[in-house]
Amino acid sequence: MFEPVLLRNMDVPDGHLLSTYEAGGGYQALAKVLREHPPDGVIDLVKQSNLRGRGGAGFPTGLKWSFVPKRAGKPKYLCCNADEGEPGTFKDRIIMERDPHQLIEGMAISAYAIGAETAYVYIRGEYVLAIRRLEQAITEAQAKGYLGSQILGSDFNFAVHIHCGAGAYICGEETAMLDSLEGKRAQPRLKPPFPAVAGLYASPTVINNVETLACVPHIVMRGPAWFRDIGPDKSPGPKLYCLSGQVRKPGLYELPMGISLRELVEEHAGGPLPGRRIKAVIPGGVSAPLIPERGLDVGMDFDSLSAAGSMLGSAGVIVIDDSTCMVKVATRIIEFFHHESCGKCTPCREGLNWAVKVLRRIEAGEGAPGDREQLEALCKGIFGNTFCALGDGAAMGLRAALAHFEPEFVAHIDGRRCPFH
Amino acid sequence: MREQIEAAAARYPDQRSAIMPALLIAQKEHGYLPAPVLEEVADILGVERIWVYELATFYTLFHTTPVGRFHLQLCDNVSCMLRGSEDLLRHLEAVLGIEKGGTTPDGLFTLSTVECLGACEMAPVMQVGDDYHGDLDIARLGALLDRLCKAAGQVTSAERVVVGAPGG
Amino acid sequence: MVRVTIDERPLEVEAGSTVLQAAERLGIDIPTFCYMKRLPPLASCRMCLVEIEGQRRLQPSCATAVTDGMVVRTNTQLIDETRSSMLDMLLANHPLDCPICDKGGECELQDQVMAYGPRESGFRDAKRVFHSEDIRLSPVVIMNVNRCIQCQRCVRMCEEVVGAVALGTVEKGMDTAVTGFEGSLASCDQCGNCIEVCPVGALMSFPYRYKARPWDLAETDTICPHCGTGCQLTVGTRKGELMRVRSKWEHGVNRETLCVRGRFGLDFVGSPDRIKRPLIRRDGALVAVSWNEAGDELRRRLSAVESKAAGGLASPRLPNEMLYQFQKLMRTVFRTNNIDCTSRWSTPFDALGPLLSFYTRAPLEEVIGKDCVLVVGGNVTEENPVTEYLLRDGARRRHTGLLMLSARPSRLDADARAVVRVPPGGEAASLAAVVAGLMTVAHPALPDDVPVGIGAAAAVPTASADGDPPDRLSAALLEGRSVTVLVSVDILKSPEARATLQQLTNLLRLLRTLGKDPAMQILFDRANQMGAWDMGVLPAALPGLHRVADDGARAALERVWGAAIPSEPGADFDAMLELCNNGRMGALYIVGSDPLMAYPDRTFAKRALAAADLLIVQDTFLTDTVGLADIVLPAAGYGEESGTFTNNEGRTQKVCKFREAAFEARGNLAIFDFIAALRNQELRPSTQGDIFDEIARLVPAYQGLTQSGLGVDGAFTRAAPPPPADAIFAPPPAVPNAADVLMLITGNCLFHNGYLSERSEILNTVAADPYVEMSAQDAAQRGLSDRDQVVVRSAQGELTAQLKVNRHFPGGLVFVPENYRNLRLNSLMRRGEYPCLVEVHEAHLTVGVTTAAGVGAMAADIGRGTSSPQS
Ligand SMILES: Cc1cc2nc3c(=O)[nH]c(=O)nc-3n(C[C@H](O)[C@H](O)[C@H](O)COP(=O)(O)O)c2cc1C
Ligand code: SF4
Ligand code: FES
Repeated sequence: MFEPVLLRNMDVPDGHLLSTYEAGGGYQALAKVLREHPPDGVIDLVKQSNLRGRGGAGFPTGLKWSFVPKRAGKPKYLCCNADEGEPGTFKDRIIMERDPHQLIEGMAISAYAIGAETAYVYIRGEYVLAIRRLEQAITEAQAKGYLGSQILGSDFNFAVHIHCGAGAYICGEETAMLDSLEGKRAQPRLKPPFPAVAGLYASPTVINNVETLACVPHIVMRGPAWFRDIGPDKSPGPKLYCLSGQVRKPGLYELPMGISLRELVEEHAGGPLPGRRIKAVIPGGVSAPLIPERGLDVGMDFDSLSAAGSMLGSAGVIVIDDSTCMVKVATRIIEFFHHESCGKCTPCREGLNWAVKVLRRIEAGEGAPGDREQLEALCKGIFGNTFCALGDGAAMGLRAALAHFEPEFVAHIDGRRCPFH
Repeated sequence: MREQIEAAAARYPDQRSAIMPALLIAQKEHGYLPAPVLEEVADILGVERIWVYELATFYTLFHTTPVGRFHLQLCDNVSCMLRGSEDLLRHLEAVLGIEKGGTTPDGLFTLSTVECLGACEMAPVMQVGDDYHGDLDIARLGALLDRLCKAAGQVTSAERVVVGAPGG
Repeated sequence: MVRVTIDERPLEVEAGSTVLQAAERLGIDIPTFCYMKRLPPLASCRMCLVEIEGQRRLQPSCATAVTDGMVVRTNTQLIDETRSSMLDMLLANHPLDCPICDKGGECELQDQVMAYGPRESGFRDAKRVFHSEDIRLSPVVIMNVNRCIQCQRCVRMCEEVVGAVALGTVEKGMDTAVTGFEGSLASCDQCGNCIEVCPVGALMSFPYRYKARPWDLAETDTICPHCGTGCQLTVGTRKGELMRVRSKWEHGVNRETLCVRGRFGLDFVGSPDRIKRPLIRRDGALVAVSWNEAGDELRRRLSAVESKAAGGLASPRLPNEMLYQFQKLMRTVFRTNNIDCTSRWSTPFDALGPLLSFYTRAPLEEVIGKDCVLVVGGNVTEENPVTEYLLRDGARRRHTGLLMLSARPSRLDADARAVVRVPPGGEAASLAAVVAGLMTVAHPALPDDVPVGIGAAAAVPTASADGDPPDRLSAALLEGRSVTVLVSVDILKSPEARATLQQLTNLLRLLRTLGKDPAMQILFDRANQMGAWDMGVLPAALPGLHRVADDGARAALERVWGAAIPSEPGADFDAMLELCNNGRMGALYIVGSDPLMAYPDRTFAKRALAAADLLIVQDTFLTDTVGLADIVLPAAGYGEESGTFTNNEGRTQKVCKFREAAFEARGNLAIFDFIAALRNQELRPSTQGDIFDEIARLVPAYQGLTQSGLGVDGAFTRAAPPPPADAIFAPPPAVPNAADVLMLITGNCLFHNGYLSERSEILNTVAADPYVEMSAQDAAQRGLSDRDQVVVRSAQGELTAQLKVNRHFPGGLVFVPENYRNLRLNSLMRRGEYPCLVEVHEAHLTVGVTTAAGVGAMAADIGRGTSSPQS
């Protein structure tokens, strides 16, 4: 039985209060870091742990931190990505609602490591409870001197501000988030320069996901080797999996990285709903290409999923059973990306618009020969050519649906109706 | 409103960053964001009006036209769809007598579908105001509407059923 | 330098170049939409994607910097397919209403689809139509949102180049739309640069919409007549009628840009306000006559006044050749140096001369690329908008430190490193303080012969509460390695002009001594003011800015002209009016100028002009002054004859004819010949081309220029040799008393700069109403609010207009634009009193407290400006 790390306070009553957090050893990692480690030492610890970003891209966190110039002549910023817009994902919300101090401590340590004195938590506006809990936690932490100036007697000063999103998935993309924080329409920025060099207000900025930051205190307390020993060496650590869709026990599960998708769905989440069979699973939020049932024996980590043609993404695992029309799922997914396209680049904005039109038509039984080829052509025009990864995610998802469920598309087009209706 | 906005702006080195928080504050106060409110926000922050307008239209949580007292925001993304949100939408449309995107004539309810609310473990989910309502089915939805109507001092939703609407 | 290979062809380019730029060097065409040379790359259209060896994905060439050894391919099948795919997606959603689209025939989308697009589309679904009607964003800008391809060139242009931040982008994704605040651009600059850079027919010029097909237009490249920036533009006419104006993109100081006056303000050429036939005064009234009758009358009247003084005023909007010929006519036929080129101020040539020897005749782009640029006086945003765009670009992208010193605030202040707000007329004192600041700090570095005391003695004027103190400027100037000083011609309006010019000269001398390699240009508000000076349309200076008293210079001209030139400096226009007033003026000859409207004292001007024995007015339009004339000669206007202008950069450029002179108007040169002939003389040479050649021979700055050599970008005149270092430092002026009164100043507003613009129907549509601008505090103090009708009253007179409260305006200042003829603004002014002291009241109130006399008394208190402008 895997002992929960990130979720250890989940079922504790008042787990969101400082007192609870402290009772469980909270803020000792911060104290330890301030006492024992220079900033570079913290970066080394995190590098050794092989922690990879939990926001979706899986970039090595320690490496990212090390790109921040030591002497910038400008303030540095830490931004916590709590926008959690990826459909099928709700892990960050639960951390913030039930154990916000874990995040704050993680941020304080990370900020210390990169030399930032200010952090913004970009949190989606819908998360009203999470926002309230986090605000309360910040106030508590300030009162106790875990935030503010000369934290725990050191010369480290650190303030955390909350910035509420207002409903735009693209804000989860890190550079779009920076533009949004600067009061602009949230659209991705050109890279280079990378945020670590010129990010928020053109200052060096590190952007990390909530879960990523929440891992940091544990790495500090238990050591990088402990972390690396959980799951695959190159993609290790405890991991939050969000299970939803047509599965018996939807919910948030903390299990090692690399656990088999089949085990996750069939054992931990209780398998399919009564009388149904699993048809496909989306393993990492809708940006991750779906995996048909026969492929479920894949390890849930960055490298294994990528080798299997999908991705771990945000670990939003969505289970789809045999009662569901895949054309409809594909349509809904592409409608989502179309709705959330920021509109900056041509292939994403226009391409998804066409894809939605064609998909809706097929779903409605008005498909025509050539439509599948048209969709393939669109995927080709979009994939790899968009400004940011949003368009890629959409194209990959559509491609996977077309490839794995071709007969369903054909049946819609040839039968001029949806076979599921 | 001015004090609140100025306090929010103090968190940022650049006033432009405070447009989003300011709009959230303004919307809380006015219910929505008509042109004069946008102008006021721009004036308080000393930023260009067009910037304020840009943001007020870019983000879906901002409304430049009035919304009902209760904004029913039903998630229809994949996880909720797989758990029956489409039926809930049809039900709501029938009970309220409006289409998605519409507002009841009494201004009580606006019905929208939204992208993933980040609460898929309790799909299907609907957000009303600050609150999430999960694991919804037609019965729970009915109870919720009743509570909302009551809170507004109105008749219950059963009495609001539009005659002849399917599914009721 | 780095080595790259593009399509198998090797190339060396500067590090930091983009792949797109490198490809351009090789003549390899890469299609683009969102890219614009002078804007930071956006890389959003994805048309320019190329293959780079070692990269997994295609990369946007517009935003990818070359690296050493990079291997790029732009001609693979994958790229062909990608381009075709982008165009297919765009085009399938595009309205394809090309037959009624203004852009049809010159549309970048059309062109690129032709070159790179699919021949057939697989998209069968309905295209997006999300706005069923065109949206009229402003009187001149109309938007068809459906046609927009989201390149964002317009929005970036508006914010980054123009600085107006009027256009923006609303909604997101497929609903994205470019628009103004709440769908209106009512309060933007109306420069139309957004229209210019729109690759498709989304943003359109309302006045031009549906008027012509591009291939029906006859296009003429010429120079804008409105201000001294001297923007190049292309005029499109159909059957002689003006259809549109656009910028030339790769040429001229302005490149893609123009301001509202240039783009929309040329329709004055078709103004009905024309003088159709010659007019002579008979029994007190002007009656139309033939040119012959006018000639007879003129001959008779001219001989009657032969013994008396003569004088001439010509407009600085006339081309060089006309101005040159005019002064030659005055000097050789009328035998007088009573010549001037403006009625708005007197030019103290003794102080101007030394300053002009610092004039840098070089591209503005180069001049403002220095470390520091100090802008003195005026409001560059409104007077020289396109110059302002370049200054903004300097500050934002080239890290030029902008320093502003002026009474009038401008939008550029926001990009400045320091802003010194001076009381109007206080430029000289503030500059003296800057000089003093430099002196104290740089003292040890100065050679012994620089009188140190001079700066130190200067009293620092009280810094305005909302600006920086002058020593901020000194510090910044000292820090900069190189310095440019740009001077608004506005400073010449003040009675302190001489002192200001002297302090500017001091400053430049000092900067040179300090090794700051100073550059200087004047920001003229008239298209050929520089040329007018160069051509010697001045009472004290001959062509080439030689002093009239300079025997050698005079003799050289006399030899070529075959006639004697009076050796005494003449009267400037103010002094000419004095001559009129004293009954000593015989013939006063006014060409293209409207002093009754522009001279700062309408009452006096009117009286004086009426007192001249013979007032000859040669003009295109029916001006106020025409109403006083004895003989009126209809002249060809702008666009009706060719010549050259010399702009603020000292760049001489061709102004070209694009329509025939209307009615019985004759070319200005022909009229000069006509007049010379009446006096039995002949002006040689007499054609524009030959005159140009004579100028190129006789005016040192123009030496060597040839008409054919002017080329598309004109040619630079040559700077004078730098002045000797031993020149004397002028002492600092007295600090003006900042009394607690309102001071009225005037000048150009963004939409108008007088005489020509006031006859533009389009400009009058965007800015029909005159206004009075003042600070929020001053307005509040008087219980006034924005848009109130107010009365501005001076000791001389009053006017009524709408109040415009300006948050950035300093206290004590009132601004009224000078171009609104009906306001008769100059009737508030008293000769030599500038700024003019005024009171401002709400319009319907009858004022009992402050009488006109009361204001006059205040004028006496402040203790200056009661004498006439210096001559
Ligand atoms: C379209 C798009 C949406 C994204 N949304 C999120 C998000 O909601 N939350 C998140 O943490 N990362 C999101 N990301 C990933 C971020 O860009 C970024 O990689 C991440 O926040 C970095 O943090 P990490 O290294 O800790 O994972 C998104 C990326 C893309 C392209
Ligand atoms: S892929 Fe393009 S349009 Fe889509 S979200 Fe990214 S930048 Fe915006
Ligand atoms: S020109 Fe490079 S992406 Fe548009």
